Amino acid sequence: MKNEWGDVRLGLDAFDLAGKKALVIGAGNAAGAAIARALGEAGADVIVSATSTDGDEVMRAKKVQQDLAKMGRQSSTVTADITLGTGVQVMVRQAAKDLGRIDIVVNAPDLYLGKPAEATTDIEWNRVMQVNLSGTFHACRAAGKEMLKQGGGRVINVASALGERGMANSAAYCAAQGGILNLTRALAQEWGPHGITVNAIAQGWMEHTPAIGNPDPAANQTVRFVPMKRAGAADELGALAVYLASDACGYITGQVLFVDGGLTTHL
Amino acid sequence: MVLERLRLDGKVAIVTGAGRGLGRQMALALAEAGADVVCAARTASQIDRTTGDIRALGRRAVAQPTDVRDSAQCDALIARAAQEFGRLDIMLSNAGIGDMRGANAELWDVNDDDWHDTLDVNLSSAFYCARAASKQMVAEGHGGTIINLASGTALRAYPMSFGYGAAKAGVIALTKSLSTMLQKHGIRVNCIIPGFVSQAPPRDEQSAIFAQTRGRYLPAQRLGYAWELGPLAIFLASDASSYVTGQGFVIDGGGLAGGLAPMGFAPEVRL
Repeated sequence: MKNEWGDVRLGLDAFDLAGKKALVIGAGNAAGAAIARALGEAGADVIVSATSTDGDEVMRAKKVQQDLAKMGRQSSTVTADITLGTGVQVMVRQAAKDLGRIDIVVNAPDLYLGKPAEATTDIEWNRVMQVNLSGTFHACRAAGKEMLKQGGGRVINVASALGERGMANSAAYCAAQGGILNLTRALAQEWGPHGITVNAIAQGWMEHTPAIGNPDPAANQTVRFVPMKRAGAADELGALAVYLASDACGYITGQVLFVDGGLTTHL
Repeated sequence: MVLERLRLDGKVAIVTGAGRGLGRQMALALAEAGADVVCAARTASQIDRTTGDIRALGRRAVAQPTDVRDSAQCDALIARAAQEFGRLDIMLSNAGIGDMRGANAELWDVNDDDWHDTLDVNLSSAFYCARAASKQMVAEGHGGTIINLASGTALRAYPMSFGYGAAKAGVIALTKSLSTMLQKHGIRVNCIIPGFVSQAPPRDEQSAIFAQTRGRYLPAQRLGYAWELGPLAIFLASDASSYVTGQGFVIDGGGLAGGLAPMGFAPEVRL
């Protein structure tokens, strides 16, 4: 609409991503899949990637790509092992080439380990750090290179409320997720002057959270602990990702946005 | 479909401080997304402009001059929404006022009246409006959303305006507690925490230079624009944020995520 600020997109048109080019890494996970579909519904062309070469995960990402194609979006599937920086770099470069540019990168790797800290092995610790934290860094670094060349972009890291708080049997995961949140803040400082915003969506207890098991509130005390008395659905992450990806969201950066049913307000 | 969830068609919103600045832009945004809006502010002429612009968008709007320091006037404001539009879905408590003092002001120069006035306008108003609005929503038999405006000054030191910062910190705490208290009624409560945001486009060259200079202290390299609060208000007011409650959404150009060194400081130290 036209007002004293000029012709500004402050209404529903602010959420329109038509013509935007997105890469969603981790589209084989519930959160990444929901976000990829939401970006597509808002009009973006989306390349999807799994975070490993695991057959099941790649097939789930492929299914998301087919949904995007049905919406009429330009879409394709690429694959890389997110723990290997060089591979991620090649994959992101390829996606940028295929799309012409990359306006939006969503990083949604998610590997949980539930185990007492004193029993956690070096291999387990390293694996959790590599997939969640190093993977997110590899993807941010590669995305940043493209966006610095282009002079702007939107990076969205999908993380967990466990990055902000501690919990038993979750030391490695809490450390890795906490790393993602502060990586987000650091990159926002570094890349802000170049027109790149970097934000994180922190999920609470979701229907797809491996740590909580059965998400039915009737069967799950941890889910009843959430002020909203239910686990979140992956679809409830979509609109926030669309907002953070939009042109209208240029003044939010370095933030962790919680989608958690009020969980982090709990006394 | 994600864009459908953002629509506010058939919903009724109240926006306080809707005459200018952030409140005006958020009122316009809610209307653009489909809501009918009751616009409140102390200055009648300013809200008349906002209601006129909303009607031009094809939505219904009424102006209700309100001093939000007075709980009876807040009650009357909520009653007006029910009376005019038959329902209330969105309570956006935006009205607030700074208490900026000179750099040389001393703490003991601030008298009781100044202190209480700052708390009344910035904090008590949010309580009065949330109390009346939630009662109305529950009486109508549906849920709703409450959005309060806090400020980044609540989270860091702000000696020039310490009362304001304290009041806004109260708004954040109020938001968290009310979110769990009202949850059983299907009412979500969140707040927006703006950093440095220009209330209006620069009036002249001097104010443009000021905004530009101030903006260089932020990663975004600029101040925010009031209209940028609009889409955030739509997100928090709509079903698109159905699993978001008790949260503060910071919109500040990256300032609060950093701030340990001056902008541009980027050390290079070898391993």
